[in-house]
Amino acid sequence: MKQTLFNDKVALVTGSSRGLGNAIARKLALAGSDIAINYRKAGGSSQEQGEHLCEEIRGMGRRAILIQADISKKESVKKLFQEIVREFGRLDFLILNAARAPFKPIERLLERELRQLVETNYLGNIFCIQEALPLLEKTQGTVVFISSLGSRFYNPAYPLGSMKAAMESVIRDCAEGLIERNISVNAVCGGLVKTDSFKVLRQYWEEIQYIPDELFVEPDEIADVVLFLCDPASRGIRGQTIVVDRGLSNRLYRSVKRHEA
Amino acid sequence: MRQNFITEQKVFDEVKKAIVETLRVDENEIKPESSLIKDLGAESLDFLDINYRLEQKFGIKMARHFILEHVEEIFGEGSAIDENGQLTDKGVALLQMRFGDEHAEFTRGMDMDMLPTLITVHVLTKGVMDILESLPDTCPNCGNTAWKTEDGAKLTCGSCGEPAPFANGDDLIKQWLASVQEEKKIF
Repeated sequence: MKQTLFNDKVALVTGSSRGLGNAIARKLALAGSDIAINYRKAGGSSQEQGEHLCEEIRGMGRRAILIQADISKKESVKKLFQEIVREFGRLDFLILNAARAPFKPIERLLERELRQLVETNYLGNIFCIQEALPLLEKTQGTVVFISSLGSRFYNPAYPLGSMKAAMESVIRDCAEGLIERNISVNAVCGGLVKTDSFKVLRQYWEEIQYIPDELFVEPDEIADVVLFLCDPASRGIRGQTIVVDRGLSNRLYRSVKRHEA
Repeated sequence: MRQNFITEQKVFDEVKKAIVETLRVDENEIKPESSLIKDLGAESLDFLDINYRLEQKFGIKMARHFILEHVEEIFGEGSAIDENGQLTDKGVALLQMRFGDEHAEFTRGMDMDMLPTLITVHVLTKGVMDILESLPDTCPNCGNTAWKTEDGAKLTCGSCGEPAPFANGDDLIKQWLASVQEEKKIF
């Protein structure tokens, strides 16, 4: 087997049983890494899909483990990293992909929904960074946060956007704070992607059906940039959020799909 | 308006189809009393997928929010679910009224995360039927009473071709809550 820069390295991708996380995990495995796949809800389709992904990665000749953890709970995050140490003894790449949010305008959020929003998408990610530090320090590893255009543009019923914006700022902070420890910290901001979450968007934002297909990003296109940020080739990039949206956010006007007659 | 175009059997069949397509389960496993989460393994994104398919099929808008969310918004946070995320007495009373038919068990103190397990195939079917029942007598576009269906699922006006306008699922839930509150004054 060809030796690559990623061989013998270990990646944790939070929320990787499906969607973007799944594509990123797969891409890192193909590049040569062993993978810790994380999901939150035990006993459901996430667990099943996570198990499939594990099998697929093992089929590639890499090691893979599936770890259930709710990143909003610090204890759960601690156990997550303890298991990674037990299984792999190291961590090189921390990919913060897991997200969880209700789909409601901010002014309608109940208190418990607001707290859950912050606990998963802000606190949870920071818990992961903090717990990963001792491991990443040893490997001069990398943190990549997965953001979305909701961090900088309005989307209907998408309070998650405000958390993405907060995390992009956290990434800038940690990128500077962790220079001495040689840990690279950046983010990738995805555009419109047709994953399971898209099923939510299309119900809350009907206009999305009229955006031309070619403006939808493939999960692999985002995963490739994540891979790049884990590669020494990206060492000059620090604290940045790289937008991967096929130019969607560049455009003021965009053409609308014609209705079929 | 009581509509006779789309039968409950048709709705049930389409609900089953939507579930099979989304969850990839065997149709034979799907019974009216099957809980989507407990028996069929659905997760929240799967609900949205199933709803989307039904919406496309029947030209309707399913409810986006669970009934207790509506309760909390209308009657205040803490009315149905307490600060520990558990069902209150009033929450139990309401769910009893709404889901009494489903032979489900709800008790005070029950964790709110357990509540989506109450959604059965029958609940979904009834949800679609309730929306279809909101069919207006006359077409708001042309004023005629000429509803028809070509595929046994989507209704259009035979006079002007406009799709039948139904109430959306969330509005129907709010209406139901208002009438229940008027009658029983639970909150």
